[in-house]
Amino acid sequence: MKSRYQIPLLIFLSIFTFINLVPILWGLVISLKQPADAFSIPPTLIFEPTLIFHWEVWVERGFLNFLLNSIIVAAGTIFISVPIGTLAAYGLARTKTRHASTLLFGLLAIRMLPQILLAIPFFVMARWLSLIDTYIMMIMAMVAINQPFTIWLMRSFFVDVPVELDEAAMIDGCNRWQAFWYVVLPAVRPGLAVTSLFSMLLAYNEFLFALILTGSRTKTLPVAIAEYGGEDIHYWSLSAAGAIGIMLPAVIFTILVQRHLIRGLTFGAVKG
Amino acid sequence: MWLFMLPSVVVMALVLFYPFFSAVYYSFFNYYLGSTNVTFAGFDNYTALLSEERFWLDLGNTFFIVGVSVALQLVIGLALALALYSCTRGVRLISLLNFLPHVVTPVVGGIFLKWMFVGRWGLLDATLIGFNIFPPDWLGDPGWAKFTVIVADTWKFMPFLMLVLYAGLQSFDTALLEAAAIDGASAWQRLWYIILPMMKPLILFVVAIRTMDAFRFFDLIYVLTNGGPGTATETITLYTYQLAFRLLEVGRASALGVLTLIVVAIMVAVMIWFMQRRGREAF
Repeated sequence: MKSRYQIPLLIFLSIFTFINLVPILWGLVISLKQPADAFSIPPTLIFEPTLIFHWEVWVERGFLNFLLNSIIVAAGTIFISVPIGTLAAYGLARTKTRHASTLLFGLLAIRMLPQILLAIPFFVMARWLSLIDTYIMMIMAMVAINQPFTIWLMRSFFVDVPVELDEAAMIDGCNRWQAFWYVVLPAVRPGLAVTSLFSMLLAYNEFLFALILTGSRTKTLPVAIAEYGGEDIHYWSLSAAGAIGIMLPAVIFTILVQRHLIRGLTFGAVKG
Repeated sequence: MWLFMLPSVVVMALVLFYPFFSAVYYSFFNYYLGSTNVTFAGFDNYTALLSEERFWLDLGNTFFIVGVSVALQLVIGLALALALYSCTRGVRLISLLNFLPHVVTPVVGGIFLKWMFVGRWGLLDATLIGFNIFPPDWLGDPGWAKFTVIVADTWKFMPFLMLVLYAGLQSFDTALLEAAAIDGASAWQRLWYIILPMMKPLILFVVAIRTMDAFRFFDLIYVLTNGGPGTATETITLYTYQLAFRLLEVGRASALGVLTLIVVAIMVAVMIWFMQRRGREAF
């Protein structure tokens, strides 16, 4: 059903999109402005852009270290969560009993858990084992949050692979494991990539757990930028430069997974 | 087959079930972190919370903020999805661009929005003053702070609904719509009698997901108002955070977390019941 009103609709959509992106664009503008321009009223739109704040916040103020922390946490999460989640997803996708659907539903129910309820015991455990400000605690927490999601998403990719493929491999002499490893797994490679990217984004964006489990050594980017805040106008240009930099991987992520966004967003329940 | 699930089950037992049950366990104790004096409290933590004004205020705030913002997201998201559906060109670019607020790290999104709303220097204030309009205190006035938090939540999560609903629209068979158009049904009639009934299961599904997520939402409000002014925008999650990590009242905070879980579970149960009932009516 294509409308006759396409041109006015497109104009409306473009205006809406622009307004929707104003907060991000304004952040970009602040990060490129000299303070003298940033605080003029009304805001000036013509100015000499500068990258000095980007340089200062990432290099001189240690945001590159926080980026490294974020990468370590995200990578650790993927390396634990995706392999075990993939195995479980395959098991669930090829089991046709009532138990399997009960399990799947149970996994979805875990999503109802208020994260803050999990954050409390993680904090207590970390204090107890003196593991505050270490990567291990943060990675474990991220695996906990990620695991149900990983299983559901991977399962939706396994379900797309016809069972006949497994059966053919097993008739040809593979055992269950070989059929999985040599035949089915290669067929879901794109799914593996999409699931890893989504898990990475979840870990990269996580704030609550990072706030309580990391410290000065293992601080991730969201915590670092929250400390700069948006309040003190003297730091505006700096924190804007940090914020824009933190946003970039998310933008790249969106472009990379655009074809699978909907599936990832809905736990694999809706295939876009 | 079950062997494939074993590693995941073991890991989840360790990092998910064990912490969850220890939190439930804490909720029955007077447990201040750092103090060695831990005493059994029975249901004291629960009764204390339930008889506290702040708990009910926060619960009301949470329902209000979640309810209004999810409703707004649904209306705007659906309108955009329908608009995208009616276009042939530029759809992909427009939906991707509108999706950006959703993938931006929530804290960063909160900071971007703060530069919109912050008093005097914010873009909104600066613009309004430029037009000689005296702006309200977006973040400092109890009423306006609620408004701002709702706008922020809508900005962040509307793209999710837009994208999922658009995907839902695309998967429909257009024959029915074309037949209705030939029979002379107006655009409104087609929307009301065909598109919306077909979309109902999907709409309920995304609203259920969004409501669950909105209930535990923390990052944006923490950055924007931190629950203030006073407790005007304090949600249950922010209160739990204060109790657990500022006051170190682990027992009380755990009880609050368990209460939140119960509230969310009841709401989701109602939604599932609603979905199944609707399903039987075969709309």
